[in-house]
Amino acid sequence: MAGVMTIEEIRELLDLFNASGVGELEIEREGVRIRIRKAGATSEYTVSPAAETVPPRETAPEKASESEPGHTLVKSPIVGTYYDAASPGSAPFVNVGDAVETGQVLCIIESMKLMNEIEAEIAGVVAAKLVENGRPVEYGEALFSIRPR
Amino acid sequence: MFEKILIANRGEIAVRVICACKDLGIRTVAIYSEADRHSLHTRFADEAICVGPAKSSRSYLDIHAVMSAAEITNCDAVHPGYGFLSENAGFAEVCETSRLKFIGPPAEVIRRMGLKQIARAAMEENGVPILPGSLGILKSPEEAVEIAERIGYPVMLKASAGGGGRGMRVVRQPEEMGPLMAQAQAEAAAAFSSGDLYMEKLVENPRHIEFQVLADQHGDVEILGERECSIQRRHQKLIEESPSTAMTPELRQCTADRLRAAMKAVGYANAGTVEFLMDASGKLYFIEVNARIQVEHPVTEMVTGVDLVKSQILIAGGKRLDEILTRPVVLRGHAIECRINAEHPETFVPSPGTITGLNLPGGAGIRVDTAAYQDGVISPYYDSLVAKLIAYGSDRAEAIARMQRALGMFVVEGIYTSIPLHQRILKHADFVSGKIDTGFLSRHGFLADKK
Repeated sequence: MAGVMTIEEIRELLDLFNASGVGELEIEREGVRIRIRKAGATSEYTVSPAAETVPPRETAPEKASESEPGHTLVKSPIVGTYYDAASPGSAPFVNVGDAVETGQVLCIIESMKLMNEIEAEIAGVVAAKLVENGRPVEYGEALFSIRPR
Repeated sequence: MFEKILIANRGEIAVRVICACKDLGIRTVAIYSEADRHSLHTRFADEAICVGPAKSSRSYLDIHAVMSAAEITNCDAVHPGYGFLSENAGFAEVCETSRLKFIGPPAEVIRRMGLKQIARAAMEENGVPILPGSLGILKSPEEAVEIAERIGYPVMLKASAGGGGRGMRVVRQPEEMGPLMAQAQAEAAAAFSSGDLYMEKLVENPRHIEFQVLADQHGDVEILGERECSIQRRHQKLIEESPSTAMTPELRQCTADRLRAAMKAVGYANAGTVEFLMDASGKLYFIEVNARIQVEHPVTEMVTGVDLVKSQILIAGGKRLDEILTRPVVLRGHAIECRINAEHPETFVPSPGTITGLNLPGGAGIRVDTAAYQDGVISPYYDSLVAKLIAYGSDRAEAIARMQRALGMFVVEGIYTSIPLHQRILKHADFVSGKIDTGFLSRHGFLADKK
C-alpha cells in the first residue's frame, strides 16, 4: 500500500507493539519510516525519538538473571557484600574451571559484620564467577554459574 | 540533614516517603521483596535493593536484610513507614547501635508506649481520661458489683490470662454479675488454666477518635487536631476524616493540653497518634498510643497544611518544632479519606490481580496517594490497599461532594475494589449528618456477613 499510513494502521501497530515485549521498533514502508520506543515502565510511546518519562535510576552493572542452558546459577540468599576469599590477600575459594562438591564453600557474603559462608548446593564445575570481589549484592543476585556434573 | 534514607516499607507509604525525601533533596533507597520487583516505589527511589522472597517475615520484616541493605548503600537514616518494623522497638534499637538514624520515637519510648499498663498510667497521671477498669483481679462478685457501680454499666469481664473472646462476658445489671462471673471464670480456667478476671467499662458502638502528635527531639510537643475513624469493618478503618463532627472546640483544646503534657512526660519524639473511644455522651476514653505515622495521616495534612512525613524527617535530623510549624496549629476546612481496597465491595473477598485499566481522579480538592499503576499487580502477599483517596473542602459538605465526584471518576479495571461501597456509605443519610460510630456498617446492612 503506497503513501502515508492511516491513523487506523498506526493505532493497530501501536496496539500490537504495546502488547508485545519488544522495546523498540522501527519500520519503513513505501518511504514512510516510523520508530517506536517504550520508555521505562509506562507503556508510553511516541512516533519520534522517545523522551524519557520515567526518571533514570542509577542502574547497577548488568546482572545475570538467567543461566545458560544446562548451567545452574548460585544465587545470594542474603543482602550483603560479596568476598571471593576468606580474607584480603588470600586465595579465592574457587576459580573458574574448578570442580566443586556439594557443601563446598564458594564465597563469603558479609552482612552486618557477620561473615556468612555460601555453600554449593550441587556438585559440578564453576563455569563463571558473576560478581566482583567486594561488591554489594542483593537477595537473589546470581553469584556463580555452575555446570552440574 | 540526611544524605540518603532507606525506606523500610512498600506500597503507597514507600512512595509517600520518597515524595518527602525528594522535596528535601534527600536521596532514597527502596527495598523490595521478589514479589514487589516491579513495584512503583522501586522505580522512583534512587536505588533499589531486593531483600528477600515474597514472605514478609523474610523480607520487609527481616531486620538483618533491612540493615544489610542500608549498610551496602551507605544510608544514614531509615524511615519505617507504618506496619512492618515501624513499632518494633528491637529494630529501632538495632538502628541506634548501628548509627543509622531511625525516623521515629526513641526505641525505649516505642517499647513503653507498647505496654498497655505503662501507657495508661502515663495518660492518667496527666489527666487524660482512660477507660475505667478494676485495678487488679476481681476477688468476689460483691467486689465486682462495687467496682461496676463505680465504673458504670455495662461492663466487660475479661480473662486476665488470655483473650480472643474467651472468658469474656458483658454484664449490664448487678443481678447478672454472680452467674456471669462464674461462667467467665470457668471458661477462662478451661482455656488459659487461670480463672482470674478483671473488669473494664464497655463502650458500645463507640466513635473512634484519635489525635495527631508531633514532637521534636528537644522536648517540644504539639497536637495537630483529631481524626475520626469510626467507619470500620472488623477493626479495619475504611473512611477517616478531620475534624470530627463529634468534637467541640473545648474538648479538643482540653484534650490537646493534657496530651501535650502526657507526651512530654514520656519523652515522646517524632510523629505519633493517640487513640480514644468516645461514648454516646461524648466522653473520651484513652485506648492506646501508636508510635508511628499512620495510614490516615493525609487528612490531618490537608486541614493543617503540615507535611507530616517531611516533618518526621526534619525532626529526626534535629530540627525544632518552631522551625517546622506555625503555631497555634489551626484546623481549616474538612478532609475525608477513603481507603480503596482490592476486594469485592459487597462480599469483601480479596481481589488480587493485574490492574488492566486505571484512571486516577484529580481536580479541585482531590489528592490520591497510591502505588498502583496500569498493568501493575496487586499481589496476595500484602495488604489490599490500592489507593488512598482524599477529598478536601472548605466544609464537610463540600468534602463529601468532592469525594463523590472523585469516586465516580476513579476507574480501576481488572480487580474488584471497594469504590462502590464507599459511594454507598457517603450517600447514606446518617453519614451525611455525622451520625456515625463503629457499628455503622453493621447496623446499616453494609456487611453481608453480619460481622
